Amino acid sequence: MKPARVIAYLGLIALGIIGAAPFLYLAILSTKKRIEIVAQVPPTLNFSWAQITKNYSEVLFSQGMLSFTLNSIIVVGLSTLIALVIGTPAAYAFSRLKFAGSDRMASTILSMRFMPPIAVAIPLFLTVKAIGLTNSYAGLILPYVSFSLPLVVWILIGFFDEVPQEIDEAAMIDGATRIQTLWRVILPIVRPGMVTAALFGALFTWNEFLVALYVIDSRALQTISLGAATLVSAQRPIDWNIAATVGVVTVVPILIFSLFIQRYIVRGLTAGAVK
Amino acid sequence: MSAVSAARQPVAVIEGRDRPALTAWLLLGPCVLYLVAFSIYPLFYSLRLSFTDLTAATGTGNFVGLANYYTLLTDPLFWNAAMNSAIMVTAAVALQVVLGVALALFFDLDLKGAWIVRGILLLPMLITPIVVGVMWRALLNPDWGMVDWTISAIGLTPPDWLGSVGMAMVTLILVDTWQWTPFVFIIVFARLQGLPREIFEAAEVDGAGPIVKFRRVVLPMLMPAIVFAAVFRAVDAFRSFDLIYGLSYGGPARGTTTLAFFSFQNGFQFQNYGYAAAVAYSMLIIIAVGTTILLRYVQLRPGQAR
Repeated sequence: MKPARVIAYLGLIALGIIGAAPFLYLAILSTKKRIEIVAQVPPTLNFSWAQITKNYSEVLFSQGMLSFTLNSIIVVGLSTLIALVIGTPAAYAFSRLKFAGSDRMASTILSMRFMPPIAVAIPLFLTVKAIGLTNSYAGLILPYVSFSLPLVVWILIGFFDEVPQEIDEAAMIDGATRIQTLWRVILPIVRPGMVTAALFGALFTWNEFLVALYVIDSRALQTISLGAATLVSAQRPIDWNIAATVGVVTVVPILIFSLFIQRYIVRGLTAGAVK
Repeated sequence: MSAVSAARQPVAVIEGRDRPALTAWLLLGPCVLYLVAFSIYPLFYSLRLSFTDLTAATGTGNFVGLANYYTLLTDPLFWNAAMNSAIMVTAAVALQVVLGVALALFFDLDLKGAWIVRGILLLPMLITPIVVGVMWRALLNPDWGMVDWTISAIGLTPPDWLGSVGMAMVTLILVDTWQWTPFVFIIVFARLQGLPREIFEAAEVDGAGPIVKFRRVVLPMLMPAIVFAAVFRAVDAFRSFDLIYGLSYGGPARGTTTLAFFSFQNGFQFQNYGYAAAVAYSMLIIIAVGTTILLRYVQLRPGQAR
């Protein structure tokens, strides 16, 4: 092997370490006693099963991260579903039915992704409060739909644009209406696009916590990012073994999720997604 | 061409029967109404709030006109935050663009097993930013963190990462770079992979060395993707506060309090809704002006960066 090639491979390994080591470190800390973290530098790799069980049961059950995760799945799942149901027809209309101002309208929708969170969080909170939905799933789902909707529409416009117009036209010549064409002919073609849009819409709201901070007071209804935020805030000193365990518990669902997302990530990102 | 227009003819007739305006509104209506109710209305609500002195404690705000904006412009904390935002966004985006392009070129070498490392590099940007902040707080802990231990082990003195005002900003920029360089990389890499290779070969045949080839041929063709990634990164770095929430909580001595974090503190910690809305609106104006100027030079279309 040429020396240049060797250096390139060393660089590749270094990159892998830079990317993965912080997570591994977090995982190791999550197996330790509080004092061990301070006393063992660097941390040793002799794991005690009892301590691991203790940390994780503390975080998952006593601190409630397991129910926070379930809350997140419900809130993010439902809001993504609603965003998809509302957003897909809109994206199709933007792609196919060009009318005066449709391009401007589409870019206005994209620009909503650029809003500073606090600009909408306070009014959304006051609105949710006024209709009496604080401390409920609905109080989070309603705002979250509006967060993932611009993303969903934007990603799907790209996918609809790739389907040749002739396909719609053929269906319509055969007597289908626009809506029948969309439902029966085009939707099956853009299914990967809908998966991409759903995944990125979900990710966007999965990590959200400002609106949740306002809307949810009850511990029982906290989402995973809100739960993590309240458990590990930089405001106060923390138990590092518990903080690390909280970290691992939030990383694991995303890790599983990322295995599914691999195929779609380039499409999603280039359409202006993530966070 | 004529075949296409011939095919379009009958559709226009069908559309006429189908009442396209009605169809358009059926398709668009729910989405537009939803966004008006939950995005545009809140935005106007926020504007109205920024003219009041509403706090969580008072409950009802009085109209105070431009007083919040006046306070803002004379508030040294606001200018401190604006300065921090400017430094953070500029440095982080510049660093991430340079590293992201370098990574794209590196992965273009097509090394064996590179896909594994690429998969690892995707992970940081998917993780909840607060957790990223906390994770790095552990790594950089002066007493037992692994980074400090490693630096000491090779005989150097680790910097006071999060303890001093200037260094905390550097640390924030570095952590943001760790998390988001892959975003720039993925977008630039996708563009690079899609470019026709013959052009590079032609440049080599014409005697261009690697540096000239990169500057004159590769870089200009990557530019749309680079600008696209940079715009998104700049806006997100400007408006996000959650990494700071986990990493430094704006400190020490407000050294990492950016405008986004400042607005969060006023709006949530101090429950000063009117003032927070004014800060948020000033950010909105900065984003609007910034992106309008940028978009004069580039157009963002779906799939354009590919």
